[in-house]
Amino acid sequence: MLSGFAARNSLVWVLAISIVIGFLMVIVFRYTSDQKAIGRAKDRLKAHLLAVRLFQDQLPVVIRAYGKILRGTGSYLRLAFTPFLIAILPITFLIVQLDRYFGWLPLQPAQSFLVVARVSDPAALNDAALRLPPELSSSAPAVHVPKDKEITWRVVAEREGQYEIKIATGGQTVSKQVVVSPGLARVSPVRLKDNFWERMFTSGEPALADNSPVQSIAINYPAREISFAWMEWNWIVLFFVVSLIAGFIFKSVLGIQV
Amino acid sequence: MKWLHLRPGRRGLFPVLLWIIALMLLFPQRGEAYAGPGAGFAVLSSFWTIFVAFLYSFYALVTWPIRQLLRMFRRRKAYGKAQVKRVVIVGFDGMDPELATRFMSEGKLPNLAKLRDGGTFRPLRTTFPAISPVAWSTFQTGVNPGKHNIYDFLARDLKNYLPYLSSAQISEPKRHLKIGKYSLPLGKSEVRGLRKGTPFWHWLGKAGVFCSVIRVPVTFPPEKFPGVLLSGMCVPDLKGSQGTFCFCTTQASSDKFREGGVRIPIERNGAGYHSYIPGPENPLGTGSELRANFKIRPDAKRGRARIEIDSETFTIKVGEYSEWIPVKFKAGMGFTARGICRFYLKEISPEVEVYVTPVNIDPGHPDLPISHPVTYSIYLAKLFGPYATLGLAEDTWALNEEVLDDQAFLAQAYGNHEDRERMFFDALEKTPQGLCACVFDTTDRVQHMFWRYLDKDHPAVRDVPQDQKPRVIQDLYDRMDTLIGRVMQQIDDQTLLLVISDHGFRSFNRCMNLNAWLHQNGYLVLKDGKKESGDWFEDVDWSRTRAYTMGLNGLYMNIKGREREGIVEAGAEAEALKEELRGKLDGLIDPASGKVGITGMFDCDAVYAGPYVDNAPDLIVGYGEGFRASWDSVMGKVTTAIFEDNLKAWSGDHCVDPRLVPGVLFSNRKIAIEKPAIVDVAPTVMKLFGLELPSYFDGKPWAVAATSNK
Repeated sequence: MLSGFAARNSLVWVLAISIVIGFLMVIVFRYTSDQKAIGRAKDRLKAHLLAVRLFQDQLPVVIRAYGKILRGTGSYLRLAFTPFLIAILPITFLIVQLDRYFGWLPLQPAQSFLVVARVSDPAALNDAALRLPPELSSSAPAVHVPKDKEITWRVVAEREGQYEIKIATGGQTVSKQVVVSPGLARVSPVRLKDNFWERMFTSGEPALADNSPVQSIAINYPAREISFAWMEWNWIVLFFVVSLIAGFIFKSVLGIQV
Repeated sequence: MKWLHLRPGRRGLFPVLLWIIALMLLFPQRGEAYAGPGAGFAVLSSFWTIFVAFLYSFYALVTWPIRQLLRMFRRRKAYGKAQVKRVVIVGFDGMDPELATRFMSEGKLPNLAKLRDGGTFRPLRTTFPAISPVAWSTFQTGVNPGKHNIYDFLARDLKNYLPYLSSAQISEPKRHLKIGKYSLPLGKSEVRGLRKGTPFWHWLGKAGVFCSVIRVPVTFPPEKFPGVLLSGMCVPDLKGSQGTFCFCTTQASSDKFREGGVRIPIERNGAGYHSYIPGPENPLGTGSELRANFKIRPDAKRGRARIEIDSETFTIKVGEYSEWIPVKFKAGMGFTARGICRFYLKEISPEVEVYVTPVNIDPGHPDLPISHPVTYSIYLAKLFGPYATLGLAEDTWALNEEVLDDQAFLAQAYGNHEDRERMFFDALEKTPQGLCACVFDTTDRVQHMFWRYLDKDHPAVRDVPQDQKPRVIQDLYDRMDTLIGRVMQQIDDQTLLLVISDHGFRSFNRCMNLNAWLHQNGYLVLKDGKKESGDWFEDVDWSRTRAYTMGLNGLYMNIKGREREGIVEAGAEAEALKEELRGKLDGLIDPASGKVGITGMFDCDAVYAGPYVDNAPDLIVGYGEGFRASWDSVMGKVTTAIFEDNLKAWSGDHCVDPRLVPGVLFSNRKIAIEKPAIVDVAPTVMKLFGLELPSYFDGKPWAVAATSNK
């Protein structure tokens, strides 16, 4: 867990990462794309746009130019597709990892939160029990929702730290990580069984055992909002915007066709 | 509904996939947003383009009926009485009617022959003198030179007897801000057109007839009118000259090129070499010339060299041209002049020699306007890539000075020509109704430089056996015929096609220095002790000089009160001198060849009429067949010899007696006129579109048949 100014100021981290990624992306784009072909495709698109303006009194010419713009856009996207394919995999994995840090706020001491367990068989709800470490305590009785195969506990953490809570049911016990921290920390909002892709994008913990009656355990970490430019931003949106701006600046400076 | 049958084959599925991904990325969910900036660049750019295109199109579509209504009245006037839907004018500068006839009679030029047989073929009377800027100015304005003020490429400054370009004047910004050693220009250079009169496409445009005009000479600076225009002959290079090439060489030489080029040393720098391209004068008033440095790394084994200039690096083989390369001339304080040029690797061993074309105004980022609207040159550059913008883009000087050989010159000339063909056919497509006019000047340049192979006795190639002379001019006419064939395929029966030239061509094998003749006959006097004069009358004693010549065909009297040091009284004395000169020069014999050097001396008061006659020469010299003014005479130099052999590659010319060099007129319709003239084209086209003719026109409209014979 990070602490101190940098840890608390997630904005600084997101901006720094976005700028670095923006820079790396234009470099990747430069070496994985056909720069000349992209330049030509963009020039032709601009030419067809100008044709619409220059020959605006000739309706058939305008319509033909519009058709060429659509075709030209397709060609341009096709040329941008190769670098896009090459970049998407590492970027996706990187962002998934970053989302563990920037997507959610860790819990705060004395802040109550919900632990929601979903089971495969509603009968398993009857003997489900939550076992907490000494630093955490339950603040309300468990709520059973058989219709949704869910059971929910309200819990409070006394002090910061990384804890493991356990849920026992059907003779088995499964655990889930809980992070209580005032700074930047890696959190996993849910622990899942099976479902590889969902686990990859949303969970930061190992899968639950195949024979476990528990399907998932979720903690309702608050979503992180980042204040920037008089607005509250989801970090991915901010990352998308800032990395794009940085990329456009770097590509102009480096003379790269994008 | 054919377009609905999408087949997801190898080619079809890919765009569909692309569009799906693009649409997903437009509305990113948490997962899709992970695509990050890589996709973002492409998607944003594409959608921005489509968005702008949509806005433009929406605007065009929504306002189209309103604009059509607003223009209906004018259009009705224009097209209501129109006999044609479209007029296409293809200008071939210098196409000669005798040569065309000869080639057609030999079974060549099938497309032009088809026009001749089904439509019209006539010699087209040219102007006095038969020089391109004069003739094309008459073509576009429908008036004689006395009304459009263009008499030659050059005009003379009465205050100092020095020449200036007759078609346009570029002046520095009037106000400057002094900061230390710099003088910052406050404003832009002013370009002023000197051609008077109104081009006929202005009248057509005002009446709602759309016009696309490509590279008609003397259209620089471009004037505003409702249509599109790309300027041609007379557009300067970045230095402001009509074309200054650069020959970079490791070979030490103090020789200077007579005209049109500079020799720049290449210096060794470790394993490589470096040199520079001279640019325009520093606009910050330092008095220095801007330079663009470049490095050369020759690879003698592979017969090529790598050249680095600014951020561009490219490799060319010996005997090859580069693409158009952007060049920046940095003046300091953020001022940069931008141009484009091509490099030609002439030799890498034992000497390193690189020819660089004149630095053209970059059509994609024009420092001076070269089109109307300004975006038209940008549009063409974006569509087809950079192209030559210089008025005289084919570097005849470099071939004349033997910096380029025949093949290198032709590669350059036809490279430019292909660019212009692309522009012309684009204009043809974009002008389904109205006027589409384009002038191709390759015909002029190639005939100037290769007539020597057509003339059996040309002194420049006397040692080349007749059967080894290349058929350059025949090939040229074949190419132009092919072009006309393509045009004929793209026009319908409602389109009138006119193929015209401004003048014809003759051999140029003897040079005449008329200033030398004037000197030897006492009309032009040199300063005491001088037997010759340098350029631009350097050693002429004006206080005793009565007549002089400058430019290609003009002869001037040194009139008191008109020229700064004039001595001939206007009126009776001037008239008498004029008659005396006409009497002595008309029919002048070249003693060496026994041929008539001058077949006509034309009094400008008789051949011109209009408000600008005072700016005309006093006499137009009509050189005989095979003769022309020497380059020295053109540049105001006085030599001892009057007649000399022409040993230069520039071996064909048209600056002779205009009666010897009519142009051509081909048409796909019958035209009932025996002796058409270039001055008639403007009134003819205007009449075909049903417009009233201005009363000042000198040309007369032709009777054009209502239908074409395919």
